[in-house]
Amino acid sequence: MKKLLLTVTAVAIGMTGVGLYASPETDQAAFVNYFTKKFPDTPKEDFVNGVYSIDAASREQWIEIEEFPPYELAIDAGEEEWNTAFANGKGYVDCFGEPGVRGNYPYWDESRKEVITLELAINECREANGEKPLKYKRGKIADISAYMAYASRGEPINVEIPNDEALAAYERGKEFYYRKRGQLNFSCFDCHGGGAGNLVRADKLSPAYGHTSHFPVYRSKWGGMGTLHRRFGGCNGQVRAKSFKAQGPEYRELEYFLTYMSNGLDYNGPGARK
Amino acid sequence: MNLSLIKVCATAIVLSFASFNAAAGDFSAAWDAADAKRKEAGKMGAEWRDTGKMLKQAKKAAEEGDEAKAMKLVAKALEQSEDAIAQYQREGNLWAARVPQ
Repeated sequence: MKKLLLTVTAVAIGMTGVGLYASPETDQAAFVNYFTKKFPDTPKEDFVNGVYSIDAASREQWIEIEEFPPYELAIDAGEEEWNTAFANGKGYVDCFGEPGVRGNYPYWDESRKEVITLELAINECREANGEKPLKYKRGKIADISAYMAYASRGEPINVEIPNDEALAAYERGKEFYYRKRGQLNFSCFDCHGGGAGNLVRADKLSPAYGHTSHFPVYRSKWGGMGTLHRRFGGCNGQVRAKSFKAQGPEYRELEYFLTYMSNGLDYNGPGARK
Repeated sequence: MNLSLIKVCATAIVLSFASFNAAAGDFSAAWDAADAKRKEAGKMGAEWRDTGKMLKQAKKAAEEGDEAKAMKLVAKALEQSEDAIAQYQREGNLWAARVPQ
């Protein structure tokens, strides 16, 4: 009887799709394995460099760009902003303690029952001190985030999923990642998993492993800095799906899932990308 | 101008006005239906990028008197939302098959 039950359970799991019910640890191991097998010449720790970890030609250009990185001005502006007191005399230091805390985000907030990202925390710090919140995609928030990311370089990515509610948020982020959407009918993984390394017009698609390590980024296409959620929105728009609100629950949970997939790598933001 | 000619002209004016109103009513109903479908897709998180724009363009075309263009855009927007909902439903558990094992 026990054997029969086990068989029935196994068949049921098989029918509903293994990917639905795998643990985050199993998901991550398979995710890492997928990319390390797909790009066997790329050292694991190099995936934080995005497309430059798999494309030797553009890597050379990028190394040259990194000699005078275009995000440097943003780091300086962010540092100045960090050191400028709010009208009430307090500052970011009173909320965060120190700038090098990128490694603490995103995290599951047990009391609020939601994922908290660095950019959300920056704005909540401002609002708690009587300042207006900043726009989430570019500008000053990207500067402060760049300064904090820079101060956090080398911190390990170590997203935790502490309970079932956090697991549910992770699962929603995961579903978002693998679901096809938009008029062009693409999932995130279609481009950055199966399609990673393929050309879209003249550009190579970057692998998803390590994707969230280097934000915010200076993108040549933007001619400026942008946050991770700006990029999420851009990706959705490119497949002709309506993008979601930056720092809304959808993108925060997507960030939670995607950052978890890069656990074990190091933060190396801010970055420079094409 | 004799009386019967005046009657014919008046009837024509009344009929064209009525037909204009009926067309405006048709457009308004079609637009509302397409917008409701767009919102239905939106609630699922499945709305496509250009559907809302098409409905705005349709309204503008109707205001400018280009009924054919307006109705064409409404039909296209409705079709997009129906396709977006079908895509969402089709994905069901299908997305899980893409998760690396």
